[in-house]
Amino acid sequence: MKKIFSFMIALGLTLGLAGHADAAQKSILIGFTASQTGKLNVEATRQINGLNLWVEQVNKAGGIKMPDGSHVLVKTKYYDDESNKDRVQELYTRLISIDKADFLISPYSSGLADAAALIAQQYKRIMITTGASSDSIFKKGYTLVYMTYTPASRYLTGALNVLLKLDPAAKKIAIIHENDKFSTDVVSALKGYAEEKAMQVAMYEGYDAGTTDFAPFINKIPKGVDAVMGGGHFADTTTFARQLYEKQVATKMVALLVAPPEPKFAELGEACISVIGPSQWEPVAKYSPEAAKAENVEWYGPTVAEFLKLYADKYGKEEPSYHSAGGYAAGMILEKAIEASGSLETSAVQAAIDKEDMYTFYGRIKFNTTPNLHGLQDGHEMIYIQWQKGKDGKPEKVAVWPASAASAAPMLRMSR
Amino acid sequence: MSFWRSPGFWLNFLLIFVGGALVLLIHQDTLRETAFTVLMYIALASSLNIIMGLTGYVNFGHIVFFGLGGYFGFFMLSQMGWPLYLSMLAGGCLSAAVALVIGAAVLRLRGAYFALATIGVNEAARAFVANFKPFGGATGLFVNFSVYDQYGGSASALWWIFTLLWIVATLTVVVGYLVKHSRFGLGLIAIREDEDAAMVMGVRAPLAKTIAFALSAFFPALVGTLYFFKNGNVEPEDAFRFQLSLEILVMVMLGGKGLVLGPILGAFAYERLRGYLLISPLFKNLHLALSGGILLVIVLFVPGGVVGWFRERFPRLRRLLE
Repeated sequence: MKKIFSFMIALGLTLGLAGHADAAQKSILIGFTASQTGKLNVEATRQINGLNLWVEQVNKAGGIKMPDGSHVLVKTKYYDDESNKDRVQELYTRLISIDKADFLISPYSSGLADAAALIAQQYKRIMITTGASSDSIFKKGYTLVYMTYTPASRYLTGALNVLLKLDPAAKKIAIIHENDKFSTDVVSALKGYAEEKAMQVAMYEGYDAGTTDFAPFINKIPKGVDAVMGGGHFADTTTFARQLYEKQVATKMVALLVAPPEPKFAELGEACISVIGPSQWEPVAKYSPEAAKAENVEWYGPTVAEFLKLYADKYGKEEPSYHSAGGYAAGMILEKAIEASGSLETSAVQAAIDKEDMYTFYGRIKFNTTPNLHGLQDGHEMIYIQWQKGKDGKPEKVAVWPASAASAAPMLRMSR
Repeated sequence: MSFWRSPGFWLNFLLIFVGGALVLLIHQDTLRETAFTVLMYIALASSLNIIMGLTGYVNFGHIVFFGLGGYFGFFMLSQMGWPLYLSMLAGGCLSAAVALVIGAAVLRLRGAYFALATIGVNEAARAFVANFKPFGGATGLFVNFSVYDQYGGSASALWWIFTLLWIVATLTVVVGYLVKHSRFGLGLIAIREDEDAAMVMGVRAPLAKTIAFALSAFFPALVGTLYFFKNGNVEPEDAFRFQLSLEILVMVMLGGKGLVLGPILGAFAYERLRGYLLISPLFKNLHLALSGGILLVIVLFVPGGVVGWFRERFPRLRRLLE
């Protein structure tokens, strides 16, 4: 009996102490919705994989390290938003008022993030958007919403820089794009940028989603254009690229949205060679602490190789996509700000994020702090990939721009 | 008119009125968000019921009026600086006017041909808006966050929007009831049962159908304006969601078409079922499959909907379950 009694006391003490230790350990709750069902499921899952990897790494190291030496553990709470806007606002309100989330991460896609951002601002919670590139979210006067991705308005402007670097005499481009919000946002900014550079936009046409025959558009491309740019989503852009090749359009560059960075694009064979496409991040990117030092910017978090290894260890063979990298980077933005401010208060963390300027495996991160575009991503650059012929003659994806991330030199389209 | 002496009227009215009033009284944010979705679906399903339930014309394009009217209302609000309630009404009037024009053409078709035409109307409206520059084209329109300051800040604006939606939903249900129990409604029901016979008996079928179509188009526009204002933006993809059009149809069928209580209960049950499954740890990965299965069973075995089934089983309840 005595033994049982002593055991009970010992057990009680242990539990009590454990409970005490647990109470002393501070933690934050990060809330988000994930599109586990619906059309955005694949991309959203990759994004959440990246975020979960960050949570695991932070907690493995004992939590986020505060300036006073204490650590803050990270907990998460999420719901399925069915890739549906109606659901997003309801669930984010629930995450804030019932689950008491301290910080928020956006759902995947501009549409859903836009709906969630409104709730975050209304309830005064910091939200890091990832998987969302629409500029318009940041033109609404929000002060607590921050962007991980390069905005849509800069998706193709870098491709124009590549063209001008390779051929400073280039003067004329044709823009053919899908007539949806994302692609229209991208190309209207591209058009403005081209005109700024005194280039002539010789053709500017939109096509409907689901278009499979691009012949009427291709036949309309004026002679002597230096580049054909535009596209929209995977299926239509792939078909467009193939038909451009089949019709032997003579141009020095083809730069298209969304499809080129996907590994499946290589199935086009010869037709994909020399096509350039923007990506938020690629495993072939060569960002490094040395490159950061050269630009006099602080390096933060794992290197590209370390991230690839961590991801492979946790998720097996699946290579991380830019969605996964964006998820991890969104976590790092919060982590760095909490470390720097030594606080979990919204206003202190907000001030720290405003000041952030760092290089990570994902690229540079720095935010616009002007009232009209507060939170817009200013530091991060798109990586431009190009399909080139590998040593075995098969298409090989290389990063060609910006110089800090390039794994190969860009090339012009060969005339056939 | 002695509708105020009918228990059926009071049951429908009080369900919406008291439900919304309770949400306002409890004043909890999460509850408001859930109630917003429920009331939105009730208003959409009840307005669809005016044309589909009473005349039997299955409209797959009901969401056109939510999208088009909502777009116009949001345009007046964000670009012209009109106050919210006036913008809503402008959206509603445009939507009803469009329905009058479309209705005059497509309501000449019957059965499957009408249903197919309504799908086409939805696509046409989406394509038109995506290319219409004053509505922002494919990019859509948005309002600055500071707009909510006119309503006492964003938190108070949300309650204000909810209150307006509550009024709109109540109004939709009341109008639905009044139409059903009017001479005009009787004409519509006659059209549903046998359009040729109704015409022989003196019902001016083309005119009655067109008016019912316009009436059913008015309310979704009010809901659309409120919904887009709450979101702070409007885009063609959100405004003309064909899936939502189908879901509204399912809500009406689930509760019982042609009955005022049917769409109310159908919308409530459908929304809550999906909402519950979504946050249940056990079902969250299976919720769509499960809710689809349940719906299939109901539609297959209870074609009159839940309310219709009760009316059939318990004839005494017919005066109450209208």
